[in-house]
Amino acid sequence: MRRGVCSFVLMAIGIAAVACMEGGSRRSIASAGEPPASNAEVKIDNFSFGPPTVTVAAGTTVTWTNRDDIPHTVVSDDKAFKSKVMDTDEKFSFTFAKPGTYSYFCSVHPKMTGKVVVQ
Amino acid sequence: MTSLSKVFDPQTALLAKHAQHVVLVHFPIALFLTGVAFDWAGRWTRRKALAETAYYNLLVAAASTLPVLVTGLLAWQFQLEGQRLKGILLLHLVLGCTSSLLICAVWWLHFRARRRGAAVSGYLWVVEAAGVAVVGLTGHLGGFLAGVNVG
Repeated sequence: MRRGVCSFVLMAIGIAAVACMEGGSRRSIASAGEPPASNAEVKIDNFSFGPPTVTVAAGTTVTWTNRDDIPHTVVSDDKAFKSKVMDTDEKFSFTFAKPGTYSYFCSVHPKMTGKVVVQ
Repeated sequence: MTSLSKVFDPQTALLAKHAQHVVLVHFPIALFLTGVAFDWAGRWTRRKALAETAYYNLLVAAASTLPVLVTGLLAWQFQLEGQRLKGILLLHLVLGCTSSLLICAVWWLHFRARRRGAAVSGYLWVVEAAGVAVVGLTGHLGGFLAGVNVG
């Protein structure tokens, strides 16, 4: 009887584990094929934009949040958008209406660069 | 343009955003700290050569504060479009101006003493020590802003 219960529990754990893995792989497949979200987040941390490239649909609002200890800015190469100096935990948002590739950088640290691809 | 030719391209060097400030700032810091060290060594050992060396270090340190201030203010105006500063950037600006004033004041006090043919005032080491502290703090903030602490 006890052996039967143990076998059942182990089987249940195994099924749950397989289901979790399946769900995870399905989620990753779905996220790759999903249309881009209407809001996107970019974190600024350790002198870098993360993710460095975001792909969004036209009309999406991208929000940058400074998680670094020091001030940063977000400035597009073509001056389409430009934030004020953001201190720690401050945010800047911009809505991308037109498709295209928008490269941007931090004007305090020009080596920090990123890209927004609007489809 | 190859990387080597880019290094020696005048346009790249002159339009390297605000990199000039980061490069130039090392001169007044190093010259001032060295000048003060020579001055204190000169007073300790009573060797005139050390005092002379201190004076010329302080002279060039004071002169080099001008391009550092100008490039820093230009970076603020062009890179940040002169927007109202706050936090570390504001503190760096205030301490940078204070450092420049102290460096020039220390040189001027040495210059005045030389012109009068008198020994420098006994209290001058206090001004020099304050200068070293403020310059060190400004440099620390500048390094923090530039990201030299990033591993």
